[in-house]
Amino acid sequence: MNTLFFQYALAVRYLLGRKLRTGLTTLAIVFGVTVFFGLGMLTPAMSEAFRQNLIMSAGEVDLTVTHVTGGSFGAAALDVVRRTDGVAHATGMLRRNILLPAGLGRASGTKQEVTAVGVVGLDPATARTVRSLSLTTGRFLSDDDTSTMVIPVGLASKLALGVGDTFALPSSSGTAAFKVVGILSARPAAGVEEVCVPLSSAQALINQPGQINVVEALLAPGARRDSVAAAVQARLGDGFRLGGLEAGGEVQAAIKFGQTFYGLFGLMALLTGAFIIHNTFRSVVVERRHDLGMLRAVGASRRTVLGLTLAEALTQGVAGTALGLAAGYVLAALIMAAVTPLARDYLRVDIGRPLVPTVPNVVASVVLGVGIPVAGALLPAFSAARVSPLEALRPAADSSATRAAGRRALAGVALIVVAALTLVSGQFALSSLGTALFLVGLILIAPAAVRPIASTFGRLLGLLLAQEGQIAQGNLAREPGRAAITASTMMVGLAIAIALLGTLSSVLGGYRGYLDRSLGAHFLVMPSSLVLSGGNVGAGPDLAQRLRETPGVGALTTLRLASSEAQGIQLQLIGIDPGSYPLVSGLTFSQGDPAQAYAAIGRERAIILNGILATQLRAKVGDVLTLRTPEGDLPYQVVGVGLDYLNSKLTTGYISQAYLANDFHETSDVLLMVNAAPGANVAAVGGALERVVRDYPAFSLLDSESFRASQAEMLANFQRASYALLLAIAIPGLVAMVNTLAINVVERTREIGTLRAVGTTRRQVQRMILGESVLLAATGTAFGILAGLWLSYVFVAGMRATGFILAYDFPWAGVLACVAVGLLIGVLAAMLPARQAAQLPIVAALRYE
Amino acid sequence: MAVIETVNLTKVYGHAETAVTALDHVNMVMQAGEFVAVMGPSGCGKSTLLHLIGGLDRPTEGCVRLEGRDTSRLSDTQLTELRRRKLGFVFQFFNLMPVLSALDNAALPLLLDGARPEHARAKAAEWLHRMGLGARLSHRPRELSGGQQQRVALARALVAEPLVILADEPTGNLDTRASDEVVGLLRQIADEAGRSVLMVTHDPRLAAYADRIAFLKDGRIVDETRLSGDRDAEAQVTREKVAAL
Ligand SMILES: Nc1ncnc2c1ncn2[C@@H]1O[C@H](COP(=O)(O)OP(=O)(O)O)[C@@H](O)[C@H]1O
Ligand SMILES: [Mg+2]
Repeated sequence: MNTLFFQYALAVRYLLGRKLRTGLTTLAIVFGVTVFFGLGMLTPAMSEAFRQNLIMSAGEVDLTVTHVTGGSFGAAALDVVRRTDGVAHATGMLRRNILLPAGLGRASGTKQEVTAVGVVGLDPATARTVRSLSLTTGRFLSDDDTSTMVIPVGLASKLALGVGDTFALPSSSGTAAFKVVGILSARPAAGVEEVCVPLSSAQALINQPGQINVVEALLAPGARRDSVAAAVQARLGDGFRLGGLEAGGEVQAAIKFGQTFYGLFGLMALLTGAFIIHNTFRSVVVERRHDLGMLRAVGASRRTVLGLTLAEALTQGVAGTALGLAAGYVLAALIMAAVTPLARDYLRVDIGRPLVPTVPNVVASVVLGVGIPVAGALLPAFSAARVSPLEALRPAADSSATRAAGRRALAGVALIVVAALTLVSGQFALSSLGTALFLVGLILIAPAAVRPIASTFGRLLGLLLAQEGQIAQGNLAREPGRAAITASTMMVGLAIAIALLGTLSSVLGGYRGYLDRSLGAHFLVMPSSLVLSGGNVGAGPDLAQRLRETPGVGALTTLRLASSEAQGIQLQLIGIDPGSYPLVSGLTFSQGDPAQAYAAIGRERAIILNGILATQLRAKVGDVLTLRTPEGDLPYQVVGVGLDYLNSKLTTGYISQAYLANDFHETSDVLLMVNAAPGANVAAVGGALERVVRDYPAFSLLDSESFRASQAEMLANFQRASYALLLAIAIPGLVAMVNTLAINVVERTREIGTLRAVGTTRRQVQRMILGESVLLAATGTAFGILAGLWLSYVFVAGMRATGFILAYDFPWAGVLACVAVGLLIGVLAAMLPARQAAQLPIVAALRYE
Repeated sequence: MAVIETVNLTKVYGHAETAVTALDHVNMVMQAGEFVAVMGPSGCGKSTLLHLIGGLDRPTEGCVRLEGRDTSRLSDTQLTELRRRKLGFVFQFFNLMPVLSALDNAALPLLLDGARPEHARAKAAEWLHRMGLGARLSHRPRELSGGQQQRVALARALVAEPLVILADEPTGNLDTRASDEVVGLLRQIADEAGRSVLMVTHDPRLAAYADRIAFLKDGRIVDETRLSGDRDAEAQVTREKVAAL
């Protein structure tokens, strides 16, 4: 149909007729799509990078057996596999990804850097019975070798290594040099390159004597893989897993969480956009009532008018989405460029891979970016279609919307009650949904609430503006519907702003508190990667010993790490020394008594959970958890819920180092915290420590003061970035506000003409409009601040429910800023239309229809 | 056959105490090519009569027959189509789309009817030429004078070649010269194209262009005069009649 063409032509004319308004409302869509698409594209790329860096090779062999926790185990399991019918050969291996500290992974004179290698400890006698390993030059490892290595050809060329050269790896006792004896022919490299060393050397390297973490087996000819696998599984129990070994589950979970969080943020921006578009179109329909009526009078059908309005929203959606996709790509590329060097330096993870938008992400972005504005315009479009042709010929129609307002207000109250119930439920997902209900509820209540609020503020205003204040108040009460549009635009914008401000300052306050409490030590000896899992080589007992012996050192404590699983949830276990840990650092407890909890974990199989883990497991003090360990499933009693700064975002449990060694075979230290002795010169102690740490390239020494400062700086940056995002959400809201106010005035041109004709001065007209605008703004601001405080309180309560200890930080500054901004908007928004209305020649105003 | 026939056409606004009878059992017939003027004091129901005939509003009682067909039972969609194809409106406040050019404004009914845009614009251009606006096709309404805008509205009313033109005080916002031009054009259309014209006016001088004048008071037709052709004399007589109402 040609009317379609006509609708679009007209839609585009209308949009171009109001370039500023169109641009600013479209901006809301652009912004939402940018965030949604850009971050949606980024997180899979990062996840993939981590996965490829951390994944442990699934063997290209018949059967691979690993422990479900990813931890190591003794040789008994290897014997079990060997003795299973149908297994021809089996070999035990100790495989570990090792992050290479800067310097170790680079050949002199080259720029290319290898950030991590997979070290595979092989039993030279049996390894080649199971795996085929072909060499291009040199020889394979032999039984009586120590500190020898065969490396893949790709790595050899990257590092310019040949047979006879040495390659140093960070080890639990500093560095360990390996002599390259052979070069392996190329294997398809998924993830990191693997180097092979004798099993005993690998066990020494990562301080796990006698341990293996992978069993590989070759089936006897004719044996069926699945029946053999079933037999092996049955004999080993469900603590073992057949198939590949994956690591870094906690990091993956953290990335997922980030993706969800930013996805929600993008969605929120889009929903704000939808609301802005919805309000804009509501006022557009009012503004164009004459045009629409005229179109209907000369023969436009309802569908044509409906289509016209939707075509406009669609055009904005398509344009906004296209721009948003482009901007999102740029955003992702910029973030990638900023994060890549950081990830390489701090996490030893190479994420510099090309950004490829995934199909689901593009589809979701387009559907949301185009769908949301159209959805927002739907109701206004229907009311546009209901405009009767007589509207073209009549002045303003009476609004008999009072009864509808009453019904809507009831629905709004019901929604708010439901929202409050979701809050009581204590479930984060539910109370987030409740948040949305709460906002919708407020929007529904707004029209009914405008009158009482207007009269309250009107009295105040009356003191200032006398006569005009009265009229302004009357105007609002007479048109509660339209006033409510404006006020609720303001309300939603400010509510979101306050909610985010309140949550943000509380959360950051919480983090700062943790930062001070958890990192109370003078010095930290940290691995090169800040993420405590996957790939860091721990230190053997000698590092702690040497540090302890350094003159001027007071208390010292270490952290050890293993991974486990409870009720199907992956978690990291931190091994602490219950005696020295509380002296140097300390957890902040939200449940349980600290002294008793530390005593308990030293005495028995007991565990302290962090908040995230406690929430996910729904566990409380006194419960008994079954942890997967290389020794089988073992019961641990929950004795406390507490949190430290470094592990606040990962599912974490704290047990004693004794039990970590006994049940998880993990004895190396991944983080050491050192205090200077009372009275010692802290700087001098730092210098002495530095000389010790230099022998351990996997570690670096940080004084907590500067570490805390850098972390605080990071938090501050995060805060600033969030404020910028807030501003970006707020600007289109301000435009919507100015817009509706301006239309308010245009609508009453004739009335203003009459007022002028009967002797109202220009100043009085201006003041009247100003009064009305300020009244509306005050109403919206009051509502918005209340709603925002409520929301931020909900958010903070939700976070507290996850065991995160934080005080509700009342956003005084935010509230004051919102009051100021709200009133300022009221004044600014009134200025232009007020001038216009006052300048209008009386006769023209009277004739205006 | 009569192009338009109203049968006991009645319109009551509001309910109970606030009820206003705007039209009260009006019976009226218009032939093809006939130019009828409607006169009467403010609030007597002139606009209501035009709205009902034009299908913009529905009668409380009675009916309107267009070419013998009762329009009061048509659906909204059918009425819309009727307005598009059989009726042309000219309002007091030119009511043009501010975002469209003169040409597109005039072509609107055809565009809305799904005609090819080139065809619609060609026809609109033809009418605008006849209205003396050949040089103003791409102007926006705000770039035209009142008389010019009203002539664009006239072209729009005529472009779909309707049976009837309904004009509610089309000269209410125009000066004497522009008024004469517009009403002269209406007269010409009735004569040459055989369209019926129903025009509301307060000006006896302009009413004298019509074939017949219907006088309305309190929603009823109180007098009807056929005009001879001597405009000045008729205007004088009409002036007296209006004063007597
Ligand atoms: N929508 C309406 N609601 C109530 N009364 C109306 C409405 N439209 C017109 N009227 C009343 O009907 C009567 C006729 O109005 P109208 O036809 O506009 O008169 P005219 O055009 O002759 O001045 C007037 O008394 C007017 O007040
Ligand atoms: Mg009238």
